[in-house]
Amino acid sequence: MMSDDNHDQAQADAADVSARETEPGTANVSTSESAAKAELEVTEPSDVAPQPEPPDRVLHLRWDLDKTYLRTEFDTLKDLYKTFRQRAEDKVSIAGARTLLRALVEPRDDVLRRVTFISGSPNQMRKVLTRKLALDGIEPDVFILKPNLSNLLRGRFRALRGQVGYKLKALLHSHMAARQVDEYLFGDDAEQDAFIYSLYGDMIAGRVDGTALAAILNTARVYRRDVDEIMALHSKLYDSGDDVRRILIHLEARSPLDRFIPYGGRVVPIYNYFQAALVLAEAGLIDMLATRQVIDAMGAAGYTPARLASSVQDLLRRGVLRQQTVKTLEHELSGVDSVSGRPPSLFIRKFEDVISGMETLARPPPPDNHEINYIGLFHAARFRRKRHRLLGTGIRILD
Amino acid sequence: MDIFGRAIVGYPAARTVTTIVVDTCAGQAGQALEAAAIASLELDVQVVVVGDESDITDQLNKIAHDAERLSVLHAPHVLPDGVSAQTVDEVAPRSSLAVGLAYTATQPDAVFISAGRPSILIHYATQSLQRIPSVGRLALAAVYPTLHHRGPNDDPFALLLDVGATAQCTGDHLVTFAAMGAAYASKISGVVRPRVALLSNGRSVSAAPLSVQDADLRLQRHELAFDYIGTIRGDQITVGEADVIVTNGFTGDVVVRTLEGVAATAEALLVKAQDRFQWRLGMSILGGGIDRLREFTNWENYGGAPLLGVQHPVIVTQSNSGLRAFLNAIRLGAKIVRLEVIGSIGAGVEALRNLERAFHQDQST
Repeated sequence: MMSDDNHDQAQADAADVSARETEPGTANVSTSESAAKAELEVTEPSDVAPQPEPPDRVLHLRWDLDKTYLRTEFDTLKDLYKTFRQRAEDKVSIAGARTLLRALVEPRDDVLRRVTFISGSPNQMRKVLTRKLALDGIEPDVFILKPNLSNLLRGRFRALRGQVGYKLKALLHSHMAARQVDEYLFGDDAEQDAFIYSLYGDMIAGRVDGTALAAILNTARVYRRDVDEIMALHSKLYDSGDDVRRILIHLEARSPLDRFIPYGGRVVPIYNYFQAALVLAEAGLIDMLATRQVIDAMGAAGYTPARLASSVQDLLRRGVLRQQTVKTLEHELSGVDSVSGRPPSLFIRKFEDVISGMETLARPPPPDNHEINYIGLFHAARFRRKRHRLLGTGIRILD
Repeated sequence: MDIFGRAIVGYPAARTVTTIVVDTCAGQAGQALEAAAIASLELDVQVVVVGDESDITDQLNKIAHDAERLSVLHAPHVLPDGVSAQTVDEVAPRSSLAVGLAYTATQPDAVFISAGRPSILIHYATQSLQRIPSVGRLALAAVYPTLHHRGPNDDPFALLLDVGATAQCTGDHLVTFAAMGAAYASKISGVVRPRVALLSNGRSVSAAPLSVQDADLRLQRHELAFDYIGTIRGDQITVGEADVIVTNGFTGDVVVRTLEGVAATAEALLVKAQDRFQWRLGMSILGGGIDRLREFTNWENYGGAPLLGVQHPVIVTQSNSGLRAFLNAIRLGAKIVRLEVIGSIGAGVEALRNLERAFHQDQST
């Protein structure tokens, strides 16, 4: 069997993470150990171009792929096999995700927009996944996939399922430096994205020190080599900036919302990408035209005005959205003849229906939590997963 | 015209989804909301929960639900104990019943479900919802399992109406109830020609109240879309001789509570019998059969009592309804909309009215 170091070297030679060649003067990825890069199979722009000056402002969009961008089923082995065999043309993105992402990368102002995909899918799917993204008109700057085969060959079985070590490393490796970086991270509730993204955000913001991080990684049973690598990256990036603005978690499994309350207001669970568009429109990242385009896309996918209106009300009740934003959207809708093949008045009336009676119920936005108990949250998630395996959570409608 | 005064033309017909409006202020604590949350995850319906928005949002945070299919309707007033239909508008004008039924009236294909007080519910249903044409009074219909099953799905339930909406009825009311009950049973149980009977104290109507005699006479003389089988006694209800049993609200309420009382007493006797070892042994042998019997007579499986006579389905569940009762009420509501039961009831009543008009014209000529 190949030693770890030799194997790493071999992998480094075969590094195949696609990173779009960035034009000089546009981006600067933070440096890291070559061995660490090899582990993740990342080829960074810094490898192919001289180090340019950091840009003034960067909008860094970090996306998970399965169940966040793509509609993927891998709850059973059969699903997993089907997903692995699926052609790019047969893969389906979640309603509104493609339209939203394209609106987010649309050049506006003087902000450099950068997209990083970090997926738990195996490296062997790179070709088909890259093609799927290309079909959707999306070209990620960095596309990191999980080295599952090498994990398997090296007997790192925990790493096959575990996400903490892998994703944390990937996030740190692809961290960008600039005068002002705004990071928006997109994940789902099927895995531990809220946990990992929050931990990453708190690490670079200087809220999780080395001692605390070591304890968290130990609790998450991250492999020793990964721990060393993460700790090394942590020492470089610790307190480099409070850059993570929002963490949007797609509620693919429809997890209860209170599961995300401990992470504070930075984590926003969303039921669909219309909700994401509203949150990002309120943050000024996209305009109302783009939000309407997301509605169009979701309408084409079968979303009714009532479903979208309920989504609006959900955000209002949670204090994540202001009524003024909804009014602005209504104004945008009133200026067009048709929204996803329906009269815009239908949408506006439904929005008004769900807002009526709520004028006096303005809720403050959820507060940030700067002291997240990561170890407690990890144990809670593990307990839930065990209970799920033992008892199942399928809710039966009784006859 | 749309809200901007423009004509709505050239748009493809939109798919309509059933809206289930659930009153969360009655029944076992939190159970209506939990049932609504489950329905939002499992059924292709749009759920609207009515109650205090702040409380509901706090509770929803703790349970899995689909916020795309569930929205909240704020109703700030709580119905105080002992409030009557006469005073409720002054005491609690924005109760969940008032707000929920007013909202239901504005939505096509909307169903209202509540475990609230039937008298108040009927008061608001009468106020907010349009009546089916030619229907003078509303009827609350309860189902009860019978020995004889019916329809292609072997439905064990007979329909008994009215069980409390209209305490005193005229013959005309009973005739309308018969038409409404037959149309409902025909759609829900799939019986092409349901057997309809008037509840009385014997096969002969001579000793029955005048209203029953009048209704009997009017139902006998027409070729109806259902089989009118005359009058039946109370002990024939559970046998299943009729698919639809018609009576006034006072008698119906007494009957249904008597039947429930008998079932509860039988259940209590079973529990008490477990004090003795021999009985316990015997019951453990019969365990499966007793459980099936319990399931068969468990009112939570019936999905509540539909209020017939209004243009929207309204389902009244018992005041102590739990998760199962609410879930089955939601399923029943969705089924009523899917099978277009309200339209059938309207057509059934109208057909009977036409027969009566034709009869009177013949008599006058």
